[in-house]
Amino acid sequence: MISFKHVNKHFGDFQVLTDINLEIKEGEVVVVVGPSGSGKSTLLRCINRLETITDGELIVNKKVLKSKDTNINDLRKEIGMVFQHFNLYPHMTVLENITLAPRKALGISTAKANETAMFYLNKVGIPDKADSFPSQLSGGQQQRVAIARGLALKPHIMLFDEPTSALDPEMIGEVLDVMKTLAKDGMTMVVVTHEMGFAREVANRVVFMDHGRILEDSEPAAFFSNPREDRARLFLSRVLNH
Amino acid sequence: MLDFTILTNNLDTYLQGFGNTLKASLLALIFSFILGVIIAVMRISPMKVLQGAGTAYVEFVRNIPLILILFIFYYGLPTLGMELSGFQAGTIALSIYTAAFIAEAIRAGILSVDKGQMEAGRSSGLTYIQTMRYIILPQAIKIVIPPLGNQFINLVKNSSILGVVAGLDLMYFGDSISSATYVVFDVYIFVAVFYLILTIPLSLFVGYLERRLAVSG
Repeated sequence: MISFKHVNKHFGDFQVLTDINLEIKEGEVVVVVGPSGSGKSTLLRCINRLETITDGELIVNKKVLKSKDTNINDLRKEIGMVFQHFNLYPHMTVLENITLAPRKALGISTAKANETAMFYLNKVGIPDKADSFPSQLSGGQQQRVAIARGLALKPHIMLFDEPTSALDPEMIGEVLDVMKTLAKDGMTMVVVTHEMGFAREVANRVVFMDHGRILEDSEPAAFFSNPREDRARLFLSRVLNH
Repeated sequence: MLDFTILTNNLDTYLQGFGNTLKASLLALIFSFILGVIIAVMRISPMKVLQGAGTAYVEFVRNIPLILILFIFYYGLPTLGMELSGFQAGTIALSIYTAAFIAEAIRAGILSVDKGQMEAGRSSGLTYIQTMRYIILPQAIKIVIPPLGNQFINLVKNSSILGVVAGLDLMYFGDSISSATYVVFDVYIFVAVFYLILTIPLSLFVGYLERRLAVSG
């Protein structure tokens, strides 16, 4: 479903991604971990072309991302994205936040879009907040709205860019629970996170990155009990032993 | 004590000037707003050529005196074979000058909207234009209204340069009443009152918009 082949990316002289090779199949949950600045978020953002790749081949949902024939807006309608800072639209209600893209990008009627929005708000557990503004919600609630907003496009892939990093500790659980349910339902998910518990429990595969390279790509059990790379071992000892 | 007979005896003249000041201000407001939006969009566009042209416009116009722009149009164009009346030259100069300030206010407003908003909109399949229209501009407008209001008030006051080139505005007729009656103080006090009739409601209206937009989330 997502295929990176020898992908490189530069920001000016600085190489952020080096020779990335990664295959993600439908229904897989892939968690990307690694130290700050290792290129995890950039990798994720290449998938819906918030960042463009410099060379190599990237195919998402059978579409070649560098091809001129690929309509980027159509591709993005098939991919939901959840951001670290939620990025809800502050001037719209929760319901309007969720229905904007379905109405304007997919051309779905307001009534139908509202119905779908309420379905996903139920799913993330806050249907009573439909008419609230984002500023009236807690961080955890805002992030759940953001997940519902992504789901309302009925995407084939969901991308999560450090979805719990900006949350108070006691709100992390409610967001991870929603993501776990989503994984169980068979959604293809790529998750950049520092939540090792989530990676261990939910991921099909863990990808470890450092300095723009994928150093390890293995099943969570193998990765956490016996990482092959020294750099991964060091990283795990730092994030797990405290 | 103010001599109100100055006002009553010259009311027609005052009103003619007031009408022309109002007309020049409204025309310049519309032109400078349209031009300002275009320049602002050029300056934030990803195309380097447009950015450069927009920046050059703003830096050139903003850093020279308004009266110089007026003289270019009023005295300069006739040497190229194009005659403009004082009113036309004044309104054009005022539009060109104010547009630079409006462009800067709008650009600052758009840039102050968090970059994550554009990313959220674009990543959900909305086009650049849709994202601007539904997500960025509604947020930018709240930020832009106070500085924009100030620019419009400045515009009304700056329209007094029409008087310099016989633009038939309030200032021009104030001068002519003053030379005809040999009264200075009272004449110009009434001129000031007519300017206030335009600027005070404008400033109240801007304040009202600011409060209304602040409430709606």
